[in-house]
Amino acid sequence: MEALVHAAPYTGYVYPNETIIPWGILIVIYPYITGLVAGSFTVATFYHVFGVPRFKPVARFALLTSLAFMLIVPLPLLLHLGHPERALNVILTPHLTSAFAAFGFFAAFYVILVTLEIWFAFREDIVAMAQNQKGLLRRFYRALTLGSDEISETTRAYDAKWLKALAIIGIAGAHGLHGYVGFVFGSLKSREWWGSDLMPAIFLVSAIISGIAILILLYVVTSRFRKTVIDRDCMKGLAYLLWGFLIFAVVLEFLEFANIVYKGREGIETVMALIAGPIWFGVWVLQLGGSVAAFFILTYVIWRGTQDKQLIIGVTVSAVLVLVAVFAMRWNVVIGGQELSKTMQGLLSYTPPIFDREGISAVVIVFTLPFFVLWGLTRLLPPWLSHGRQAQGQIPSITS
Amino acid sequence: MKWKISKHQPGRRRFMRLLGRAMVFAGAALFSVGLMGRRGLAAAIPALAGTNYDWTKHRWGFGVDATRCIGCLRCVEACKTENGVVRDAHHFRTWVERYVYLKGERKPQVDSQSDPGNIAASGSETEFRFDNRYQDAKIDKAFFVPKLCNQCEHPPCVQVCPVGATFRTPDGVVLIDHDYCIGCQYCVQACPYGVRLFNHAHGVTDKCTWCYHRITRGLQPACVEVCPTNARLFGDQNDPESVISKFIRENRTRVLKPEMGTSPNVFYIGLDKEVM
Amino acid sequence: MPKHIVRLIFLIGILGVAIIAARVIFVDKSFGIYGHYRGDAVAEIASDTPIYQGAASCQSCHEERHSMWLKGAHKVVTCETCHGASAKHPTTKPAPVDPRPHARIAAERLDHVKLLIPPDSVKLCTLCHEKMPGRPALQRQIEVSSHTGGQQCIVCHNPHSPKLAAAGVPKAAKPSDVSAGRKKSAACAGCHGAEGLSPNPAWPSLAGQQRGYLDSALQAYKAGKRRDPMMTNLAKDLSEADMTELAAFYAGLRCQSAGTSAAASVVSAGKAKAAACVACHGAEGVSSNPAWPSLAGLQETYLVNALKAYQTGARQDPMMAGLVKGLNDAEIGQLAAYYAGLKCK
Repeated sequence: MEALVHAAPYTGYVYPNETIIPWGILIVIYPYITGLVAGSFTVATFYHVFGVPRFKPVARFALLTSLAFMLIVPLPLLLHLGHPERALNVILTPHLTSAFAAFGFFAAFYVILVTLEIWFAFREDIVAMAQNQKGLLRRFYRALTLGSDEISETTRAYDAKWLKALAIIGIAGAHGLHGYVGFVFGSLKSREWWGSDLMPAIFLVSAIISGIAILILLYVVTSRFRKTVIDRDCMKGLAYLLWGFLIFAVVLEFLEFANIVYKGREGIETVMALIAGPIWFGVWVLQLGGSVAAFFILTYVIWRGTQDKQLIIGVTVSAVLVLVAVFAMRWNVVIGGQELSKTMQGLLSYTPPIFDREGISAVVIVFTLPFFVLWGLTRLLPPWLSHGRQAQGQIPSITS
Repeated sequence: MKWKISKHQPGRRRFMRLLGRAMVFAGAALFSVGLMGRRGLAAAIPALAGTNYDWTKHRWGFGVDATRCIGCLRCVEACKTENGVVRDAHHFRTWVERYVYLKGERKPQVDSQSDPGNIAASGSETEFRFDNRYQDAKIDKAFFVPKLCNQCEHPPCVQVCPVGATFRTPDGVVLIDHDYCIGCQYCVQACPYGVRLFNHAHGVTDKCTWCYHRITRGLQPACVEVCPTNARLFGDQNDPESVISKFIRENRTRVLKPEMGTSPNVFYIGLDKEVM
Repeated sequence: MPKHIVRLIFLIGILGVAIIAARVIFVDKSFGIYGHYRGDAVAEIASDTPIYQGAASCQSCHEERHSMWLKGAHKVVTCETCHGASAKHPTTKPAPVDPRPHARIAAERLDHVKLLIPPDSVKLCTLCHEKMPGRPALQRQIEVSSHTGGQQCIVCHNPHSPKLAAAGVPKAAKPSDVSAGRKKSAACAGCHGAEGLSPNPAWPSLAGQQRGYLDSALQAYKAGKRRDPMMTNLAKDLSEADMTELAAFYAGLRCQSAGTSAAASVVSAGKAKAAACVACHGAEGVSSNPAWPSLAGLQETYLVNALKAYQTGARQDPMMAGLVKGLNDAEIGQLAAYYAGLKCK
């Protein structure tokens, strides 16, 4: 039984039950992965809804990325639950006043939505493969076609129409999903470090930058592997997107922090001790330092109109910095909030266990899985536009 | 716009489209009925353990007279035993805090039975005793404060439970259904008072129930039963002559963290400004 | 509308129906009857058995202590505050077999229930009575180091009625008491010996016996609570002062162990049995409380007779009555042999 409980050391006075930190590193990774879902979906949306053509090369890949991460999102939660076998209770008897109950709906809705969107985006490929492949794969694709091989002007029009409609709903779905994650934390009045009205917005914007960043990284890495040229226009577009949202994210985070400090409610000394103590490295070096460094690199790249290899290196490095900064931000919120005692007179310090159901090893596994899923998905539904089909307009394209 | 292409449809297609829409609406309607269907059934009173207890007739309340508490921690011992609370220094349904204002200091020194010094004094994490660390100190004032679940009128813990595994009964007690709890610990986070705890061995959240199995039999909660100084008292707020009604009427009581908007039902006298 | 879209809508419809069906099948039938929770849970929670059973449940067997407690200063402290929960006393309840968490947690409660005669009264009593900042002034508190002199609290205080006057212990023995007692002991010497050492195995030696016990024994004979053809007559004429003096005299004499001729196996069997006696009569048969008799080195036959007297009700004591109930003659013999063989102090 001993290993079940990891009591956190503390200073000052904390309520006796607080010494067991309820949410560990698994709940850090949960909003992080959810954020990647929302962010990569945003990029797809820019193409499918807003019709920004420069994102076309990654639009379908972005959808697959979003789905791959979304399929893994429930996993950290399930691992965290005391009774994972009862998880379906959330769907069966959702308590409508609970932000967590909304997760069941948001997640199920979003998975269905993005699956449908992918289905429409890939339908012509699926039909083609149902005819070309053999054996088991053929059956698989045939099942995916729902028994209809029909490709015509009419079906294309329908597919494009549904794709666009789903993408529009998806904007609300994906961003609602992540806004809700912010709400999970922001709606709790019990924790000073969480209970902020800005929390959903901060989570949303940081989700978007992390999603764009992972997409940049994946795009660069996969292009390397496929030995194809990286689309410079697309890369530049992604850089702009990351740059804009990054500024927005940093400003929001600063405003939130300024609010806490300026209001200076009871226990503000303990809040200051928190950011100077248990989470100082995460706040000042990783989160702030990472964001600012990424901002300067991106500014330089965009300002100087850097081209080719330099552009790619610059944008990739800032993407990595953003990924680290956003992870640190998740840690600082989820863990930091619990390290600040509800008494406002004490600080706890959380150290994640290494080998544990809720330990670092579990997190590594959980965070590796989406990449395998994504690899599998790209094998089944190759998202890259080749064979000149892009030019022939065979991909359902958006014109408006 | 290309996506308006299907304006002129043959009859069969129009029918199919209508059918599709009808199915979507029917599905949505059925789903919401499924959600709401169980509401509105007659709210019968549960037969509690073969007694004639009527939960609509009571409104329980708890009083703490902090000026009487001697910090003997028999309440903590009794609570752990009565309710099978995990036997270590990190799981408590009720606990006692000690506030000591040293001479010349404006902030108190605070500790509870979980403090390492107090564990050393008791000899183990399964027994409870305050050490006498301040016996030679110069002290302005010192006192003990028992803490337990406030059984709030507006419980944030119930609000956040995703499945309905915790709820407030009509007689005013917030309970946990251990056989339905999924163990997400969101309620642990939501409680401003830190009274919720997690039983890792059984994967469920736990908390003070004012000994619901005792009070529905007409007994006192275990902590009240063993308190040697009547620092804890319990009764029915619906009965104007009950100890709790008198306690509230005859004293100027206060509740913990009123700014949280939770409307607690544990009423304190003898607290000080720094009690959190 | 193209075929694939129609089929897609159909699939979504099936999914919706499946979710509704799942709700109907899997949701507990009592869910939602009172509110958004499983209605049966309330009765399940309420049906846990109370572990702390209250002073009234102790009264039926421990009437004497109960009435002593009710009159004393500790009447605000209930039995289970010091002795622990009584759920498993006198009987143990069978463990439930329901594997669900609520029933398992409820069953685990009994693991920590122990009803005890507190082994260390200083540790127990100081939980409330150690002088400590934070305790209200009205609470009686002691400086542990200077108050106890290293003694257990129950040497002077009866925990069931802790005020000294109520403990049945005479205040203090004056030297004049001892010498007066010696003079008055002439009438006793015939049976109990001039120096309190009895020559007859059926009569107890008194030398070195607890003063409070001697005093209260004489009082009991005088009041008729304890009967003996010889002692009842003798005690009848004694005054309060006589009894105090006699007690002081005999308590101060040098004791001598009567010894036993029983086999070693009988003695060791008696030692094992004596585990139930040590809390009051001391680990070596020397009582720590003046109100209770030391047993070490008393006459073997006397001890056998005393235990049997408790069994038949000829001698009465609420605690002893309960303890001797289950003893057979062989066990009584073993206990008597063990105590008779101990060295007295």
